[in-house]
Amino acid sequence: MARGSIPILRVANNLLVTVQTELHDAIAEAFQEDLLAAIEKTGAAGLLIDVTGIEIVDSYVARVLADTAKMARLMGTETVIVGIRPEVAATLVRMGYTMSGVRTALNVDEGLALLPRR
Amino acid sequence: MVQVLSRHELAIEREDDVVIVRRKVRTLAHDRGLDSFATAGITTAASELARNVFAHARRGSAAIEELTDGPRNGLRLTFRDDGPGIADLERALAGGYSTARSLGLGLSGSRRLVDEFQIESVVGRGTVVVVTKWTRF
Amino acid sequence: MTQINYMNRLRLDERELASRRAFFEITDEDLARLATLRAFGERHSTEIVDALYDLILGHPESRTFFTDERAVARVKKMQQQYFIGLFGGRLDLAYVEDRLRVGAAHERIGLAPKWYIGAYSRYLRLLHDRMFAEMSPADASAAFLSIKKLVAFDMALAIDTYNAANMDTVARHQAAIRELSTPVIRVHHRVLLLPLVGTVDSHRAEQIMETLLLKVVDEQARAVIVDIAGVAVVDTQVADHLLKTTEAVRLLGAETILTGISAQIARTIVQLGVDISTMHTRARLADGIELALGIVGRVIVAKEA
Repeated sequence: MARGSIPILRVANNLLVTVQTELHDAIAEAFQEDLLAAIEKTGAAGLLIDVTGIEIVDSYVARVLADTAKMARLMGTETVIVGIRPEVAATLVRMGYTMSGVRTALNVDEGLALLPRR
Repeated sequence: MVQVLSRHELAIEREDDVVIVRRKVRTLAHDRGLDSFATAGITTAASELARNVFAHARRGSAAIEELTDGPRNGLRLTFRDDGPGIADLERALAGGYSTARSLGLGLSGSRRLVDEFQIESVVGRGTVVVVTKWTRF
Repeated sequence: MTQINYMNRLRLDERELASRRAFFEITDEDLARLATLRAFGERHSTEIVDALYDLILGHPESRTFFTDERAVARVKKMQQQYFIGLFGGRLDLAYVEDRLRVGAAHERIGLAPKWYIGAYSRYLRLLHDRMFAEMSPADASAAFLSIKKLVAFDMALAIDTYNAANMDTVARHQAAIRELSTPVIRVHHRVLLLPLVGTVDSHRAEQIMETLLLKVVDEQARAVIVDIAGVAVVDTQVADHLLKTTEAVRLLGAETILTGISAQIARTIVQLGVDISTMHTRARLADGIELALGIVGRVIVAKEA
């Protein structure tokens, strides 16, 4: 992984990535690139993005996450985002930014249960 | 009666400055006693507005003032830039612009996260956005 | 009950201290003068404090704050320390912290400003009389002026403490009211129920959403039932709030079921053109509960007879 600052794990036929810090611009782009490269390499059925560690999600970060899910889907991979914090959820809906195309789950276990078993 | 307790001025010249502004706002919001939701709101608004400054004008500043008004505490943020200004303010506030990395939802979104919102923009001169968030009382 | 950190709350740092000292015109000279009168202070502390409490205990209303003998003895002791502190000759953050403690103690027993300002007034009269009795008019005048400044400074701190504590109480009450108006009930493992009653304005809607989101994470709820049968008016704004709350709950990873949709509400919502087709909705709460249980993989079965 080129600029891999965020480790990507394999869980069965899925990829799991845990974001521990704020996803600011340069890191966000690398994040997206690394994930897509990993999908291409592994052909994973599902992608789980754990954002429990993110306290602030502005429209830019929301877009990066939503776009990543869209790109993954084009490659045949389903994405589930888990661990969105109450404060983040409230802020996003207040801003009017719906991540409507993205599936969500409470935690990693629930997220894995949503992903296809290939 | 609104009193300004302190004022912090930060330059917005590099992409990293957006992060610095965000961190400062978060810390001061917490100091002012804003709860986690209010803090997330004002910090996200600050992130959007700082990002706008950097994306459009490349240079600007953010002034953060700690306020107090009787029983309630507040945070006032002023974002200035000498950028191209916003031609159609109404459309921008309605969330009309949506080019990648540009105004997009930033402006209209931020407005919904704060208690007070003021904007002045002159094409060719620049933009000033002032937002305030208060503790709930 | 957590203690308020008054130093933080009143932002009492070196800068604020210097600002107050300047405004109350307390000079190093004043402090030095008072320091030289320490012996005088110690000599008169008992009788002055006794006279002070004669006033407090002699007045019917203020007497009620000091009901038993031991309380009075304890408070008199504290008061003596306070009194001698006036002749300490220093005005630093440690001094301030001490004074704030006195203010906090008064606030805790509910002693209103009028009582302790009245008490300060007697302090000053008692000091005035003794100073002029023992010192030359010039010395007494100077000493009295210095002590007046310091007492004024202390009074300001006491009042600030009282205000800060009051506002804290109000904030606590506000929080309690918020909690009460958003009663989230756990009806089953990972299933929450929020019965909404009354009017839902923007302010309340915000509180409802926040409380609900926190509860969802706390309980790791997978289904949330929001019953609106008791909501007074369901208009576009309320519908919008419900939609936003539902979306926020979804972002956390849970589903929302709206129940209590009467014929009237159903008619209003469709006529208003609000699209809530993305939400689970039911007329009856019971149906919503069954649906919610289904989401967590549970079914209600009849008991064998």
